[in-house]
Amino acid sequence: MLHEFKYLAPRSVAELCSALSDHRDDGKILAGGTDLIPNIRNGLMKPAFVMDAKRLPEAARLAWSEKDGLSMGTAVTINDLLRSKETRELFPVLCVCAHELASHQVRNRATVAGNVVNASPCSDMAPALLCLGARAVLRSAGGERTVPFGEFFAGVKKTVLKPGEFLERILVPAASRGARGSYLKLKRIAGHDLGIVGVLMVRHGDSIRFAVSSAAPTPVLVESVSAKDSPDEAARKVLAAVSPISDVRGTKEYREHMIGVYVRRLLAEVK
Amino acid sequence: MKIKLTVNGLGYERDCAEHRTLLRFIREDLGLTGTKEGCGMGECGACTVILDGRAVNACMVLAVEADGSVISTIEGEAKGQSLSDIQAAFERNHAVQCGFCTPGMVMSVKELLAHDPKPTESAIKEAVEGNFCRCTGYTQIVEAVLDLTGRPEAKGELRHV
Ligand SMILES: Cc1cc2nc3c(=O)[nH]c(=O)nc-3n(C[C@H](O)[C@H](O)[C@H](O)COP(=O)(O)OP(=O)(O)OC[C@H]3O[C@@H](n4cnc5c(N)ncnc54)[C@H](O)[C@@H]3O)c2cc1C
Ligand code: FES
Ligand code: FES
Repeated sequence: MLHEFKYLAPRSVAELCSALSDHRDDGKILAGGTDLIPNIRNGLMKPAFVMDAKRLPEAARLAWSEKDGLSMGTAVTINDLLRSKETRELFPVLCVCAHELASHQVRNRATVAGNVVNASPCSDMAPALLCLGARAVLRSAGGERTVPFGEFFAGVKKTVLKPGEFLERILVPAASRGARGSYLKLKRIAGHDLGIVGVLMVRHGDSIRFAVSSAAPTPVLVESVSAKDSPDEAARKVLAAVSPISDVRGTKEYREHMIGVYVRRLLAEVK
Repeated sequence: MKIKLTVNGLGYERDCAEHRTLLRFIREDLGLTGTKEGCGMGECGACTVILDGRAVNACMVLAVEADGSVISTIEGEAKGQSLSDIQAAFERNHAVQCGFCTPGMVMSVKELLAHDPKPTESAIKEAVEGNFCRCTGYTQIVEAVLDLTGRPEAKGELRHV
């Protein structure tokens, strides 16, 4: 790695907040590093300070309670979710998406927080968090605020995080417990690939929700489909909510076609 | 920054540049060149080592992040002239051709077997999905693991002759 930076490993939230406010323009948080380190290596990011968020006291905490639902600290990895019995049983949708993300080694390091802050349109965790009504707890030296994931993504690789703020926790409401779903992700090779397009369908009681990755500047939640809609009607509604483009991984037409195929296939699974 | 870590059972204490990857540290500072660099960005798995019990891509970990940790690399496998069980199974099953992917592949398999001593074929495939092999076509690698962990129906069967 050619680019040089200083490494900070704050041991308390207060210490991290003060480092963040000192380095608003030249600092980056390091979680699993699976986005940040390749970006530094490629010269896309040149932080002067890298602040490791994994040494904070509560960072690795993944805890479930009736009152607060599921709470994930900044350092909770994708594989931590897959290994957690409570997550598998109460929030299987998180695992369905986690399982589609990258390779086993990457999942051992990659965090859920890093995945959403990275705000890639092809984020595999965003669809699950959107469908489950999860919220992000953001903290800075000035205090804390909570933002639902429906309002968290602001554009390609952009979020509502302000300079000096970090994502401290992700909360999945207890009310979403038991929601079930399937995620179909189109990719060139099994495991280990960013999606060409991904469609998640989640059922909870009478409600059906879809979320689509890699088909718009941000991951998209679609709540307009009802259980009574025909498969074609449902596909039309989902397609109306997205705006895929053509890029190295696929054309706009291919993406649109496959979204329709996936919506029909997901509905057929439950019929 | 001064870091202290254990690699293959030996303690090391070194001064290390903060932007140095764990991969470079292991290869260039410790001289353990068994771990390979392929892509340098998380795609190929040639750099896989076991960090505190989990297989990771050492090209995406900073050496300073590994301060205080316990690491296993391919050099910790063979004892003198005798191969580890995983290495011997790879050799027996022709799971090594050019050998570039092998150190990483063996580390991924080692992590798998530590948690799942009798893995299914699909668990094996998942464990090595982040390790690219351009030579073997993977079949022999999966067979090596099945051979090692005991696949009854495969006893005595001759493969790839
Ligand atoms: C080979 C490979 C395959 C991949 N495949 C997939 C895939 O299939 N699906 C997918 O969705 N992603 C994939 N990724 C991308 C990446 O692994 C994930 O996005 C991962 O979840 C990022 O998490 P991290 O902890 O590694 O983030 P980091 O790299 O540590 O951080 C990512 C960004 O978020 C910032 N950040 C991290 N945590 C916080 C925080 N708590 N508060 C504020 N800012 C923060 C960092 O400063 C950085 O800018 C892949 C990456 C690689 C290398
Ligand atoms: S060198 Fe690390 S994954 Fe390729
Ligand atoms: S043996 Fe050559 S890459 Fe695997």
